[in-house]
Amino acid sequence: MNEWPGNAQKEAPSPDAYRHLVERLPVTLRPSLNQQLSQWGTLFPFEQNRLANFMKGVETFSPSALDALTAPLWALEKKMGVKLWNFSEASDTIENASQLARSEYYAEWRREVQRVFETVNAAARDSTPIQTASTRLILLFLPGSLPVDPLSAWKQWDARGHEIKISGGSERICELAMQGHADLSGIATLAARQGSRESSDLWLIDAEAKLSGMLSPLSPIAAFSLSYAALKPFRDRFLAEVNKIPKDIQATDELISNLRLEAWNGWDLWPAEVANQPRLRRFVIDLYLSGNGAFIFSNAFVEWAASEALRRARPRTIVARFGMRSKPKPFTSIAIFENQQRISSLPDVDDPENSAIDAVILARYVWLAASRYPEQEQTLCLCVSEHRDSAYAILPAGKSLGWSPERTIAPEELYSWLGAQFLS
Amino acid sequence: MDASRRNLLKAAAILLVDQWAGSRRRVFAAESSSAAGKDERKVIVVACAGIRRAETFSDTGLGNIPHLYRELLPQSVFYPFIRNAGATSHYNTISSILTGNWQRLDDWGKTPPASPTLFEYLRKRMELSQDNAWLISSNKALTSRIGASSMRDFGPRYGANVVFPKQLLINAVIRAASQGHPEHSADRAAMQSELEAILQHADNYEGLGWSVSGDESFLDLRMQSSMQQAIEELVRTNAPVTGDEFTFLVSAEVMRRFAPSLLAITFSDVEVAHFGSYSMHLAGIRTMDRLVYELWNLVEADPSYSGKTTLFILPEFGRDLDGSSTNGFFNHRSIDDSTSLTWMMCLGEAARSADVVERTVQHIDLCPTIAGLFGIKDLDLPGKPLPGLST
Repeated sequence: MNEWPGNAQKEAPSPDAYRHLVERLPVTLRPSLNQQLSQWGTLFPFEQNRLANFMKGVETFSPSALDALTAPLWALEKKMGVKLWNFSEASDTIENASQLARSEYYAEWRREVQRVFETVNAAARDSTPIQTASTRLILLFLPGSLPVDPLSAWKQWDARGHEIKISGGSERICELAMQGHADLSGIATLAARQGSRESSDLWLIDAEAKLSGMLSPLSPIAAFSLSYAALKPFRDRFLAEVNKIPKDIQATDELISNLRLEAWNGWDLWPAEVANQPRLRRFVIDLYLSGNGAFIFSNAFVEWAASEALRRARPRTIVARFGMRSKPKPFTSIAIFENQQRISSLPDVDDPENSAIDAVILARYVWLAASRYPEQEQTLCLCVSEHRDSAYAILPAGKSLGWSPERTIAPEELYSWLGAQFLS
Repeated sequence: MDASRRNLLKAAAILLVDQWAGSRRRVFAAESSSAAGKDERKVIVVACAGIRRAETFSDTGLGNIPHLYRELLPQSVFYPFIRNAGATSHYNTISSILTGNWQRLDDWGKTPPASPTLFEYLRKRMELSQDNAWLISSNKALTSRIGASSMRDFGPRYGANVVFPKQLLINAVIRAASQGHPEHSADRAAMQSELEAILQHADNYEGLGWSVSGDESFLDLRMQSSMQQAIEELVRTNAPVTGDEFTFLVSAEVMRRFAPSLLAITFSDVEVAHFGSYSMHLAGIRTMDRLVYELWNLVEADPSYSGKTTLFILPEFGRDLDGSSTNGFFNHRSIDDSTSLTWMMCLGEAARSADVVERTVQHIDLCPTIAGLFGIKDLDLPGKPLPGLST
């Protein structure tokens, strides 16, 4: 039985108690741990819990046992010449990553780091009570404006899944999830019934700005809501700062560090649903600074935000809605790192076919991100193509659809089934 | 790409090479234009950035490479497995290919390769002029330092011409944006002034994209006028322009003018993957496929190249596996085969008998192989000459 990650922490750990433990670990393990400790207040409950458990695991080792466990990594660091590097122990930097990646011992180092983490985490698990797992729900929407290719849409998805034919009006599923109807509870109500109490347990991630507006104001728990469209004022301002980064790793690290330290509160740039959420603001800044297209393309933003939310917050519920991107304008395909709305006054023109290609693979990436964690066995993923009135469902281990895949199903019936599976 | 944009890019490419040739005449007037040139053996290496086998030579990817698969594969020596065992970053990989040693340098090209490049071996051993060694790149991760090593007995005096044509177009866009002129990229006359400013202040390689030691690189009025006209037409069209198209056209012009013995071309349209657009990444692969085919047709049609040229085509590395913690196709950071194992194709003189060599080879095997094609066989390099080729 897997531990449900969001529930485990009962006592508030103190980061100060852990700092001396970090000093006992090999140098290349320290930046990530120190960075998390320095950002303790804006870590999600799961991150605090994971870090506390790791430190608890370290504490279970006697000094000699810890020395024995880490001796190969210490030796490797010596061979790599880490002491001679300009290596930050305070935080992860591009220069750190670059120095590690170009070492001839990089692959060996990665294996050794993984071994140390796994051993420490195993020791922590042995001393932590296991809690009962509940279902995680990942609900993905490819909106009707995206002409998803019927032949290839689900081909690459996990073979354990099932294609579901919807009888029509599949956009109704998103409405039901956000607002509920009659005896069908909305997703927030379902999440609350399932035990969610914390906003970081329910995420709405949207290429446009529809989901949060659709969410019923009577929802029993607030959601963490991120919209690519609503973040535009902040994103434009932030991108302008990022574009000052010179072609130099040290200067880049310095600028990124400064951007992280900037409060970003006084500009009145945040959308209302983010403005009063320090954890969410920090999450957005980290998201943009970690690259992966979150600045430029709304669908990349949705995918990367969902993947990072899964990694960092391990929520019970994620609803992610993809969207349309514009065709590249003259020149912008050669300078794509810029904001093409800013560098060209030509009107935007939708690119539905290619937006669909992007959204299909990125929706699958969200599932793949979820499947990296132990809770994947309790994860229910439903991806709905509104254009095709079709969905693809991957069920928790041991569950089955309960109807023939040949049968078409009404949106209300599908949503009702989804709710039942989530609560079961 | 429509004809007007193609013609415009071609005009721009000719202008760039004109500019280079003019400045070369001023700066290197005393250097003899020695050896090789139009009659000797030639090698072209095309590195096409990060492309996975999954999107190319696999059941799911063949549709993206119709020319490589249908037209070129049957006449090639094909290596289905080539391993990049070095750092899978652009600068390190291109340096490793060129030097035959796994390079572990600053990823952003602040330092030159730590061992001699093919350009230097060839120019020193064969006493070739600089006209015979070129690297033309779309990739902004490279710098001009890639053209010659830091080795004392070699170095820049035996290095290559390094050209970044795409940088010119980028600079025009960036300048317009940085000056707060977003309307310029939609207005021909306004864009002209942005370009003019760039051309008039192009006093270094980072500005215009070519490397000529000590040269001030001013464009003369005729070239400026032609370039402005080219940009006018570029702006008038309402479709994107790719950097690889421009790199190809500059490469073709260099081939026509100088017929260099060794030409390395790096394409990078596919790197839009870093921004998360899979459709644009696939479009980049299809552009690369078409440009490589056009390049080969050019080789076969040009008497300076036909019958004496060997062409190598290879991705620098793959991209990360779907589901990897590094976000799949977006990046090339992981250490699994999806990233480190790719393919290579060899066409032309050294590939007289079409073959598929199943044995896994390495990127560092290219350097001793190419050196061998030029008769340089005594290099002490970790790589081994590629099997299956006629030397």
